[in-house]
Amino acid sequence: MNGQEAELISRCQQGDQDALKEIFNQYHKKVYRIAYGVVRQREDALDVVQEVFIKLFRSIKNFKGKSAFYTYLYRLAMNTAIDHSRKAKKAVFFSLDEEGGFQPSDGPEKRPDQIVARKELEEKVRWAIDQLPQDQKATMIYREIEELSYEEIAEAMGCSVGTVMSRLHYGRKKLQVLLKDMVKGREGE
Amino acid sequence: MKDSCSSISAILEKYFDLQATDEERTLVERHLPDCPVCHEQLRLLEGLRDAIKTPVDEAVKEETFPWVWEKIGKGIRQERRPSWWESLRSWLDLSPIFRKRVWIPAAATAIVLLFFSVQIIFKKIPSYSEASVVEYVESETNNVMVYQLENPEITVIWIFEDPDEDTAVS
Repeated sequence: MNGQEAELISRCQQGDQDALKEIFNQYHKKVYRIAYGVVRQREDALDVVQEVFIKLFRSIKNFKGKSAFYTYLYRLAMNTAIDHSRKAKKAVFFSLDEEGGFQPSDGPEKRPDQIVARKELEEKVRWAIDQLPQDQKATMIYREIEELSYEEIAEAMGCSVGTVMSRLHYGRKKLQVLLKDMVKGREGE
Repeated sequence: MKDSCSSISAILEKYFDLQATDEERTLVERHLPDCPVCHEQLRLLEGLRDAIKTPVDEAVKEETFPWVWEKIGKGIRQERRPSWWESLRSWLDLSPIFRKRVWIPAAATAIVLLFFSVQIIFKKIPSYSEASVVEYVESETNNVMVYQLENPEITVIWIFEDPDEDTAVS
């Protein structure tokens, strides 16, 4: 943590909203990436970003600087996004075909083919990611979307590098099975 | 010695994640051109990352983050100020003493001490000043003085036979 960031955090801890705005300008895209990685929907991801920075303002007094600030913020973003996804899941309806495969429900709105296709792919990825245990899900998103190193993920999740590697391995194996058609389809492109 | 697929697949993910050491990277790069199985595994890893990451990259690129900061500011301002009772409860929750439930025996001890203190402070102390001379009789041979106490109920009769000698009968 550099001196400028430490000063920003200190100001924010004293309730300075301008300092929070500077932190927001610096990190909002990263928080959005994590949020979108989990919820896979624009509106929900924006809601999560909002919630994360409000929570940050409320809880930053507890940040003691023992770990890097971004890992603290990423952890907050990940937990908020997972909570949001869990609540939103109740409102999303999926149906399974006879073979137990994924089949997104038909929305009431008719959209252009491209948009529908993209939305379906997004829903399928979200459905597959939701099948992972929470720790594997978080590890996969930190690595595949935010491209954190194994050490950074271990710090953010409070576990060992070996555990991170194991979670990545099993998470990837499971997603490769769940998204088999999609992964192979893209591979041939 | 030719590297086996099993030894390479153990470090293939590290290689893919750019976390392999120089030595490990050399091993993988030497092995890949001759091994379609590991090559296929690497392509699957790339395909999976592409499926997860590309939509996120596109979403971030398209996003303008409309009004997000304004909504955050509004959200912070709208946060309800806690009532005095919530503040007290929050303080109690944060206090390690109260969290450890030490307060239960401490409160019991305080109540017991308070009870005994009240008893001691407000205890009615009998006052002998309430004793009064009921009767006093003087004669040439004897002088008699009668005292009556209310609590305990005692009657004290003094008989003075001689001015120099006192005798008390009760």
